[in-house]
Amino acid sequence: MKEVLAYPAQYWHTMYEIWLFISVVIYLVVFLPALYFLIRYRYRRGVNEKAQHVHESKALEVLWTIIPTIVVIYLATQSFAFYRIQRNAPEGAMEVKVTAFMWGWEFEYPNGKKVYSFFNSVVNPETNAYLKPEEVNDMFKAYIPEDTPVKVLLTSRDVIHSFYVQPAKVTEDAVPGRITHMWFQINEPGNYWVFCREYCGTQHSRMAAVLKVVPKEEFNKWLQTN
Amino acid sequence: MAAVSYKPYFSAGFKEWLFTTDHKKIGIMYGVTSLIFFLVAGLSALAIRLELYQPGIQFVSEDTYNQALTVHGVLMQFWWAVAIWGSFGNYLLPLMIGARDVAFPRLNALSYWFFFAASVLALLTLLPGNQIRMMWTGYPPFSLNENAGPVAFYALIVHLLGAASLASAINLVVTNLTMRAPGITLKKMNLFLHSFLAMNVIQILGVPALAGAVTMLLMDKYFSTAFFDPTRGGDPLLYQNLFWFYSHPVVYVMILPAFGLISEMIATFSRRELFGRTSMIIAIWGIAILGFMVWIHHMFTSGVPDWIRVLFSYTTVLIGVPTGIKIFNWIFTLYKGSIRFTTPMLYTLSAIFMFLIGGLTGIPLGLPAFDIAVHDSHFVVAHFHYVLGMALTLAVFGGFHYWYPKFTGRMYNETWAKVGLLLVMIGSNLFYFLQFIVGIYGMPRRYADYPAIPEWTRLHELQTVGAFILAFGVLVAVLNLILSLKIGKKAEDNPWQSPSLEWLIPSPPPPHNFDKIPHMPEDWDPYNYDWLEKQHRKQ
Repeated sequence: MKEVLAYPAQYWHTMYEIWLFISVVIYLVVFLPALYFLIRYRYRRGVNEKAQHVHESKALEVLWTIIPTIVVIYLATQSFAFYRIQRNAPEGAMEVKVTAFMWGWEFEYPNGKKVYSFFNSVVNPETNAYLKPEEVNDMFKAYIPEDTPVKVLLTSRDVIHSFYVQPAKVTEDAVPGRITHMWFQINEPGNYWVFCREYCGTQHSRMAAVLKVVPKEEFNKWLQTN
Repeated sequence: MAAVSYKPYFSAGFKEWLFTTDHKKIGIMYGVTSLIFFLVAGLSALAIRLELYQPGIQFVSEDTYNQALTVHGVLMQFWWAVAIWGSFGNYLLPLMIGARDVAFPRLNALSYWFFFAASVLALLTLLPGNQIRMMWTGYPPFSLNENAGPVAFYALIVHLLGAASLASAINLVVTNLTMRAPGITLKKMNLFLHSFLAMNVIQILGVPALAGAVTMLLMDKYFSTAFFDPTRGGDPLLYQNLFWFYSHPVVYVMILPAFGLISEMIATFSRRELFGRTSMIIAIWGIAILGFMVWIHHMFTSGVPDWIRVLFSYTTVLIGVPTGIKIFNWIFTLYKGSIRFTTPMLYTLSAIFMFLIGGLTGIPLGLPAFDIAVHDSHFVVAHFHYVLGMALTLAVFGGFHYWYPKFTGRMYNETWAKVGLLLVMIGSNLFYFLQFIVGIYGMPRRYADYPAIPEWTRLHELQTVGAFILAFGVLVAVLNLILSLKIGKKAEDNPWQSPSLEWLIPSPPPPHNFDKIPHMPEDWDPYNYDWLEKQHRKQ
C-alpha cells in the first residue's frame, strides 16, 4: 500500500483531524463545567434551596466571543489553503470529459474514446442487487492510469447530477448548460466507486460507475483499442 | 390575580372552534395539526429506515422511497419545524405580553386556514397519481421532468404556507411591538419574545424569495417560460440561489424559537436570571442577520465560482460565534442556580447538548475543504437531524411538558415523560451518530439502495434499530401527553413558580386571558424569581 491511496484526499483527512480535535475540545470545555454545575448546584432541601445572584461577567462574554471568532477564522483560512489545492488540477493532468445523464455516465478520453456506464451495468440483472465493483463488466468501467492526475470536465445532458469519487473524497455537480471541473489521482490499482450525489429520480441510487485504475502502460494499451 | 372562575377557553362547541379568532384556540389547532403531520412524517421516516436496513430493494420501490423522502422532508420542515412555532407563538405570545389577543385576530384565523388548506393539499399528494418525488428542494431541471410528479401541487402548497407564515409573522410582530402591557419594556421582554420577534422578521424578509422561486418553477413547467430550463437559455442555479436565500434563513426560523424555549426553561429550573441576557439578545439578532449571508454553503459543489465558495465559508463559520455565545450563557445560567431536574429541564439539557453536536458538525460543512467530501452525503443528513430532529424536537417536547399545565390545566405523568425522553435519547443518538460515520465513509443522500460495502451495511442496520427505538420513545411521550388530558392530576396555576406573565393567570387561562390589562411594577421581571416570593409573602 502506498502512503496515500488517492489525491487530494489527504487534505480532507488533515482538515478532518483538525476539526475533530477542535470539536472534541470545545465539547469538553462546554460539557465538563456544565456537568459540574449540574451536580454542584442541584436543588437540595436545606442546602441549596435558593439560587444566588450572579451579575453578568463582561470579561467572560468578551472571552467567549473572541476565542471562537479566532478559531472559526483559523478554520476557514486553513480550509481556504487546502481548497486551492483540492480544486485546481496540477499541470499536465489528463483531461476526461464526463457527461451525466438519467441514469448513467459518459466518459470521453483525450483521443475521443468513450466509455458508457449505466445504472443497470452496476447491478446483477437477476437479483437486482448492487455488484461488487470488481464484478462489474470491464466494458462499463472507466479506466484510469495509476499515479496520474486526472482533471474531470463535467456537464449533464438532462438534470443536475453530482460526480463523487469515493477514494479521492471530491464531489462536484454536473450541471446542464455549464461545465464544472474537479480533479483526482489514484495511486493504487483497483476498482473504485463513483456515485451520483445529486438526487435525479428513480434510479438515482444506482447511478454509480466504476473507475478501474491500472498501470500506465496497460492504460495506454486500453486507450488505443476500441 | 383575581380568583374568579371561568369556563376554560377550550370548553367550546365544534362550531366555536371552527369560527374562532381566539389566539389560544388557533394555537391549539396549529399544534394539533403540526403534531399529526409530525407523526405522518415520522412514519415515512420508518419506511425509509426499513428500506435502508439492508442493501437492495426489499420493502418499497425506488419511486415509493423517493416519495417517502419527499414527504418526510416537506412535512418535517414546514409542518413540524416551522408550523409548531405557530402554535407556541399564537398561544403564548399574547399571554406573555399581557394582551387579550393578537393584533389582528381574523388575520390570525385566516393564517391557520391557509395552513389547513396546504395540509389538505399535502395529504392529496399521497394519493396514487399525485405523488411528488423531487425532494423538498425541488431542484430544476429535475422538477421540470415527468419523473418528479405534479409540481403544481408543490408550488401551491408553498404559496399557501407562505401566505400563512407571512400573515402570522406580521401579526405576531405587530402584537409584540404595540400591545405589550405597561411595564413590559423591550428590556423586560423574555427571551421567548425576543427570539419570536427575530424569527418572524426573518419570515417576512425571506418568504418572498421562496414564493418567487416556486412561481418561476410553476411557470417553467406549465407556461413555457424558461427561467431555469438550460435547453432554452435558463439557469438552474438561479433557482438554487433563490431557494436557499429563503431556505437557509428558514433554519433559523426553526431553531431561534427553540432557543427561546430553552432559555425560558433553563432559567425557570435554575431559579435565576439568564446569564448574559443582553448578549443573548444580541446573539439572536446576530444569527438572524448573518443567516441571510451564508446560503451559498448549500451550493459549495454546484458550480458557483470558487471565490464565492471561499467568501461564504467565512460568513458560514462566523455564525458559530453568536450560536456559541448562546450555549455558553445557558451553561453559566446553571452556575450558582438551584437546579430542579423536572422533565422539561431534562428535555432542555438534552436539547443543548445535542445542539452542541449539531453545531460542531455544522462547522466543517461550512469549510469547502471538508465539505467537498461529504456534500450531499449522510453526514449532512446527520448534522441537520442533530439540529432539527433532536435539538429542535427536544425543545418542542420540553415546551409541551413545560406549558402542559398552562395549556390543559392538568399535569402529565412524570415517570412516563422521563421514560419517553430516555428512549428518544438512546434511539436518536444511536441513529444519528452512526449516520455521521456512514456519511464520512461516503454514503450519498437520497439513496434507496446502496452497494453492500460491509461497514455501510452494519452502520445502516444499527441506525434502523435506533430509529425504531426513537419512534417508540416518541410514541410513549405523545401517548403520555394525550392520556394525561383525561387522567392527569389537576395542576396548580403556577406549578413551576415562574414570574413570567403567562404563569400569573389561572391555568388554563380564561377565554379573555386578563380581567384587567396588567400593569407590571418596576421590580417585576420575567426572570426575577425573588419578586414572586415577595408577592406570596405579601398575600
